[in-house]
Amino acid sequence: MTIAIDAFGLTDTGKVRKSNQDNFLIVEVRKSVEVHHSSLANDLYAERFGVSGGHLFVVADGVGGGPQGDRASGDTIKALLDYVGETVGCFNAASASKDHALFERLEETVRAVHVKLIETHGGGQGPATTLTMVLLIWPRAYVVHVGDSRAYVRRAGKMQQLTRDQTFGEYMISLGAWTEEQAARSTPGATLTSAIGGSQLEPVVGLIDIEAGDSILLCTDGLTKHVSDERLADVLAEPTDSERMVRTLVGEALAAGGTDNVSVIVVRSSDSA
Amino acid sequence: MIQKKICMVGVFGTGKTCLVQQFVHSIFAARYLTTVGVKIDRKDVKSGDLDVRLMLWDLEGRDGIRDVNSSYVRGAHGIIYVADGTRKETVDQVFDIRNNVISSIGDVPSVIALNKIDLTGDWKLTPDDETALASKGVNVLRTSARTGEGVEHTFQWLADEAVKAEGQGT
Repeated sequence: MTIAIDAFGLTDTGKVRKSNQDNFLIVEVRKSVEVHHSSLANDLYAERFGVSGGHLFVVADGVGGGPQGDRASGDTIKALLDYVGETVGCFNAASASKDHALFERLEETVRAVHVKLIETHGGGQGPATTLTMVLLIWPRAYVVHVGDSRAYVRRAGKMQQLTRDQTFGEYMISLGAWTEEQAARSTPGATLTSAIGGSQLEPVVGLIDIEAGDSILLCTDGLTKHVSDERLADVLAEPTDSERMVRTLVGEALAAGGTDNVSVIVVRSSDSA
Repeated sequence: MIQKKICMVGVFGTGKTCLVQQFVHSIFAARYLTTVGVKIDRKDVKSGDLDVRLMLWDLEGRDGIRDVNSSYVRGAHGIIYVADGTRKETVDQVFDIRNNVISSIGDVPSVIALNKIDLTGDWKLTPDDETALASKGVNVLRTSARTGEGVEHTFQWLADEAVKAEGQGT
């Protein structure tokens, strides 16, 4: 089976903010070794040379005054890109220990950026950023998440959120201390409990094996504060390409007020055979 | 530091994520959130003189579905099968899941956690039921993700067994 990946991303300053502190990235990592013809089964040379490549998708929402928030989100993405560029070509996903090693290195990369931001700007008082990252080495999607940007997966008509917001409101809801309405009304409810460069960092990692036909959505909170989960699911169900989906979603966030920077990536997988 | 992959397996809503949260973070999340795919946590424990890093793979549970994505459990050193003692059918389901896992990756150290023992009024298993379970050749332990009862012991027992199984224990 040959899998085709259709991905598109877009960011917009919105209608209220003066600058855009969001950043996003879509990367396809390709092998330098390509087997053009062989009598060997595909999985045999995949084993020999490593996987045929991977895709990296990242959204990050910078927090902090002026250009510093933009720098925080940008620096984080650049560090991840450096790591993935060096590593993914040699990575073979078929072992638990390699899964763990990959996660540990990704986490280390995130923590290294965190420490650098703290050292440069002081203990949690300077710029910070959220991060939602999916590294797709078919069929496995590795997810690293910090803050309140989100990842969703749509499979067989059902949309599910892969990540949980790391906010004070979400924490209080999870403990049963607040209702969702209380969290939405409360100003501290939106405070991040984990951020790269913030006073606390608790990266969450996970994975999901993707199937042909699945779609993945990554977004910053500039989308989800204006567009409901139901509407996100409707748009991802439309029989169109990722670019049109992304433009529709960003357009709806802006039409609903555009109170924050908004960044959206949609990834669609299909069987191209 | 040696590393052991431990998988949390069971049908929907049995408390797999809550058990991990209680073990790793000592918290109980009252609100139910479905796990999608696999969430991975880690905790370092001692097994005898050895330092062991448990990599805890919390697998999504699907309602009434008794198979497990074999690529998620591949390479596991131990499995915690989680059943909900207030839903007797989840105990039967966990044995079906266990058979599927064994046919996929072989028989690795495992334990069945009968979770939610704090819900005494809703508990559906009689002492005879639990005795019968224990006679099936698998360790059965009672846990409460809410109060923490039995949680530490369950993970520690499995860590020790996983170490012993590979001849790394003392």
